[in-house]
Amino acid sequence: MNSIYLIKPYLVKNRYMILAGLLCLIVVDMLQLFIPRIIKRVIDDLTLFQINRQQLLSYALYIVGIAVMIGIFRYGWRRCLIGMSRKVEQGLRNSLLDHIQTLSASYFDKVKTGELMAHATNDIQHVRMAIGMGMVALTDAIVLGSASACFMFYINKLLTLYVLIPMPVIVFGTRFFSKKMHHLYQEVQGSFADLTEAVRERFAGIRIIKAYNLEKQEAYKINTISKNYINKNLRLVKTTGLFFPMLVFFSNISLAIVLFLGGRKTITLAITPGDFVAFISYLGLLTWPMMAMGWVINLIQRGRASLDRINKILSMKPDIDDAIDAKSIKQIKNSIVFENVSFSHANNTPLILNNINIKLKQGDILGIIGPQGSGKTTLLNLMPRLFDVSSGRILIDGINISHILLRDLRALVSFMPQEPFLFAGSIKENILLGATETKESQLISAAEKAALYDTVRLFPKGFDTIVGEKGVILSGGQKQRVSLARTLMHDRPIMMLDDPVSQVDMETGNLIIKTVKAMAGRKTVIIVSHRLSAVRFADLIISLDSGRIVESGTHEQLMKNNRYYAKTFRLQEIEEELNAN
Amino acid sequence: MRTDFGYFEEKQLGKPYDMKMLKKLYPFTRPYRRLFSGSIMLVVLIALLDLSLPYVTKIAIDQYIVPQSALHKPDSARSEIRYLNIDAPDRKTRKIINRYPDIFQIKGSKATIELNNLSKLSKEDLTELRKKDFTGLSILAGVFLCIIVFSFVFNFLQVMLMEYTGQMIMHDLRMRLFKHIQRLSVSFFTKNSVGRLVTRTTNDIQNMHDLFTSVISFIFKDLFLLTGITLALLWMNWKLALVSFTVLPFVVFASMYFSAKARDAFRILRIKIAEINTRFAETIQGIKILQIFLHERENYLSFKKLNHQHYMASMQQIHVFAVFMPVIELLGSIALAVVIYYGGSNMLEGKISLGSLVAFISYLKMFFRPIRDIAEKYNIMQNAMASAERIFLILDNQERIPQAVNDSGDKTPVLTKIKNMVLENVSFGYTEDKTVLKNISLEIRAGETIAIVGRTGSGKTSLINLMIRFYDPDSGRITINGTSLKNFKLSSLRSRTAMIMQDPFLFSGTILDNILQGQANIPKQSMDSILELSNCKKLIEKLPDGLNTVLYEGGTSLSSGERQLISMARAFARDPDLIILDEATSYVDSETEEKVRQALYSLIKNRTSIIVAHRLSTVRHADRIIVLNKGKIIETGTHDQLMKKKDFYFRLNQLQSSS
Repeated sequence: MNSIYLIKPYLVKNRYMILAGLLCLIVVDMLQLFIPRIIKRVIDDLTLFQINRQQLLSYALYIVGIAVMIGIFRYGWRRCLIGMSRKVEQGLRNSLLDHIQTLSASYFDKVKTGELMAHATNDIQHVRMAIGMGMVALTDAIVLGSASACFMFYINKLLTLYVLIPMPVIVFGTRFFSKKMHHLYQEVQGSFADLTEAVRERFAGIRIIKAYNLEKQEAYKINTISKNYINKNLRLVKTTGLFFPMLVFFSNISLAIVLFLGGRKTITLAITPGDFVAFISYLGLLTWPMMAMGWVINLIQRGRASLDRINKILSMKPDIDDAIDAKSIKQIKNSIVFENVSFSHANNTPLILNNINIKLKQGDILGIIGPQGSGKTTLLNLMPRLFDVSSGRILIDGINISHILLRDLRALVSFMPQEPFLFAGSIKENILLGATETKESQLISAAEKAALYDTVRLFPKGFDTIVGEKGVILSGGQKQRVSLARTLMHDRPIMMLDDPVSQVDMETGNLIIKTVKAMAGRKTVIIVSHRLSAVRFADLIISLDSGRIVESGTHEQLMKNNRYYAKTFRLQEIEEELNAN
Repeated sequence: MRTDFGYFEEKQLGKPYDMKMLKKLYPFTRPYRRLFSGSIMLVVLIALLDLSLPYVTKIAIDQYIVPQSALHKPDSARSEIRYLNIDAPDRKTRKIINRYPDIFQIKGSKATIELNNLSKLSKEDLTELRKKDFTGLSILAGVFLCIIVFSFVFNFLQVMLMEYTGQMIMHDLRMRLFKHIQRLSVSFFTKNSVGRLVTRTTNDIQNMHDLFTSVISFIFKDLFLLTGITLALLWMNWKLALVSFTVLPFVVFASMYFSAKARDAFRILRIKIAEINTRFAETIQGIKILQIFLHERENYLSFKKLNHQHYMASMQQIHVFAVFMPVIELLGSIALAVVIYYGGSNMLEGKISLGSLVAFISYLKMFFRPIRDIAEKYNIMQNAMASAERIFLILDNQERIPQAVNDSGDKTPVLTKIKNMVLENVSFGYTEDKTVLKNISLEIRAGETIAIVGRTGSGKTSLINLMIRFYDPDSGRITINGTSLKNFKLSSLRSRTAMIMQDPFLFSGTILDNILQGQANIPKQSMDSILELSNCKKLIEKLPDGLNTVLYEGGTSLSSGERQLISMARAFARDPDLIILDEATSYVDSETEEKVRQALYSLIKNRTSIIVAHRLSTVRHADRIIVLNKGKIIETGTHDQLMKKKDFYFRLNQLQSSS
């Protein structure tokens, strides 16, 4: 898979910046090479006393001058090249999020959040590193490496050849070790994750541990896992501890060669003392490019692999998308019909909904009841096409919803899911959720209808209270009511409420039920509830079991039926009565 | 390589040199004193070796390569001329000297030659003339080689030793923390989220890693190196040393200034990336909401804004580093220029040798790196101290159910068999302002089966929490065999009881491990009977690896009914006197439900059992049924008695039996 096309536009768009950056880098490399030349001159002149203070001063000033230039250009390349890699990072992250939002719910059932997060963080980082540091390391390796080698050659060919002997070891050593280190580092991370998970599990199951007296033995298990983590760390350090001293060692061997051979050549006057010192300086300049050469290959390889993974996500097509002949529809005039609707998550898996038939007029209230796992929530999910039916049809005014523009279809539905999901912003932002042109009075009215207003008023910051990640600062009931207010705020022809009163007390529940009742005739309401008083007034109540409709009718009809609905209803009546005591 | 596990708590930063924290940490390092001192000795050795390298080069230059200057003031234009001295020439050298009478000046047994004139000699003659220098150079190169080999070996050993020591200290600390947390009472766990506790035991301890490795080796190695270099420079030429040190205050100042800037930039960057990750995760988890409310566009735009802020922050960070690094390099070059000017002038006056000048240049290069890193070490230290503070906050927490009250050791009664359990006027609340259980009195005799029924929130689970002593009652007392629960050792009490929870919690590992839970291997026969009784047999046979099937993530691959069966087997394996069971609210399919029920009956047979029942069919066979409402016992009796009473229990039953 060729995924380079993902970053190409950024490279093209920023080509002048890249060019400027590379130019700066090359200038820096060249300037760096001059300093040893100056030192050489100084040393040679000093050796023969062919210099005076004046000249010394001008040499010193040259060095400072060059250093200033180096500083300026160094700033230039860092800014241009590393900055450019940050731009690519930004762009990739944007397109990743943008694309992920178009994917359908079934994709997220299959892929874990953590996995996607890893792509959004690690992979993007790898790509960034490959582009930014990769470019720098590559240029340095080529320009600085070859130029300093040339300067050394210019001083003395034979000596240069000898001095370069350890260099390939550095190149291949870096390549070998950095690969190995990456691998070992991942193992360390993996074993750290194991440790975290093991500790988490123990703390989550603390009651069992206590009830079963398992403290000692669990501590022993953690001990083992922790020891394993130590071993992984030691293995990594065995490599890093070998690698970095080894680099120093081999560049020092070159130094020893300069000392021995270069020293001899200085004595025999093949080179001057200044050359000798300059040689040592060039050697210092050469070590980094050699390392870079070994490092950059891995860096780029890793970046490529990461880019491929990102590309795989970006080229994922959403399961649910507009049909080619999709129609636009702005309102519901007559009816909503479920016609022989069945659903399963994949072929060969059990049917979650089995041959469902429902007819609703616009303005009807439909109540859905049934035990857990009977398919209630799934039924709701089909309406805004979070999932598509496996067989059968859902029709709005006679049009199959799969032939309606997705945006239009969803604009008809407002949905309160079973698990209230809040974003990390304020209560207001959570309720409005994009409905920005809303008057304060509308917000208050929605909150009142959701029995939330009195609660919010008690908060010092009112609607501007920040709820934290997933709404942590709110109780379950409060979250549910924020979610309900959000649904009420988005006034759309179809309103779907999945168990809206499960986490609130009876009184609040009754208030909410009153709100729902008041919507009768104005909009189509589909309400799922375990508390039957919330569906009692519905025009049609269906009772699901194992994906099938087992009974349906109005409250009165179902009470006569004396089956699941009637039984549950009586039980709840007794409970409510006891509660009142 | 810095291992960064991406964890950093923003709220509080520790004071980097918090003596109190260091004092608390000290005991953990004590067992490793020897390793520590060994590592430090190595560090010192390495520093010495590092220091010696430029010095060897200096000697090579001064002694052999560029001979010590002999200063003359002849009448030539140049003020000084460098000569090569030849002391006590042997026969061969004398021949050479004699061959070039015009360029050698002979003074008795000594001969001198102007350095300029050496090029006039033939190559062979030059080699012969300086053969002593060659030998000397070879020896020095050999010494040099030895030093780098030793330095290599010592470096490796030191890193390994330090890492091992650091890891072992962290391991001890981690285990200590884990054991401590594990011993804390259940109420502690309701107050502290699992996530936070996990972070303490993993990430916070990890933060200490750098303290034990890089900071400590810095303190010993780099500081030693810095002192060594300073001394060496002063010793070689104190005036030149002092002059070149003039840039140091600027370096330190620049480091401090930029490290503060870099820290800010890093912090903002980290906050931004955390926000981005939160938003990203939120987008994934809230995708349905976003899609249904057609909020994708706005979400994208605000993400884009956030992402751009992150970009700007990263540019700020690049800016800081792009200024900092060159500034430090520039200061280094200025120091070099100073050495060249001032040192060069000194050399012209014969106050310093060429070798010393070269060594000065090398030492200055070595000098700059550790100083540049000071800022980073400071940050590591600060981070580690903040983590240490959080760790010790937990270690200092003593919130645990007190062990047997009469803590005189041998006097603690050992619980061998539970004969009865009595609750006398027990009241309890999780918080002070809300009582969950009010004045509960109850006597349970050995072999009885007691069922507790009542609505959600009526206090059923709290009651069994007290019985197994997860919590102590606020008033009243609970006794077993007449002795207060508080007087038994917790382990002794819990070894006679088994608890089965609503949501059976299984650990990752094999099914066998989950059943045995640390008991010494049970003979195969009893294992068979355990599996038989707990109705697990078919389930185990179905699995290809049988009992050795590995469960991941708490056994999510099994249905909740199957997990319940395994938790039954776990209870069987302990053969307890008292079973406490919180019946699951719903089983998946009726077949498994029946199996669970059968297993339950075999489990409570001939044992004392307390069952929190959510469905009344389970309750019918209980010896006694306790009906709880709002923390009080409102009815108690057998099924028949309660049915006759025609109150709450009766009405519930009527409803359910009509099904």
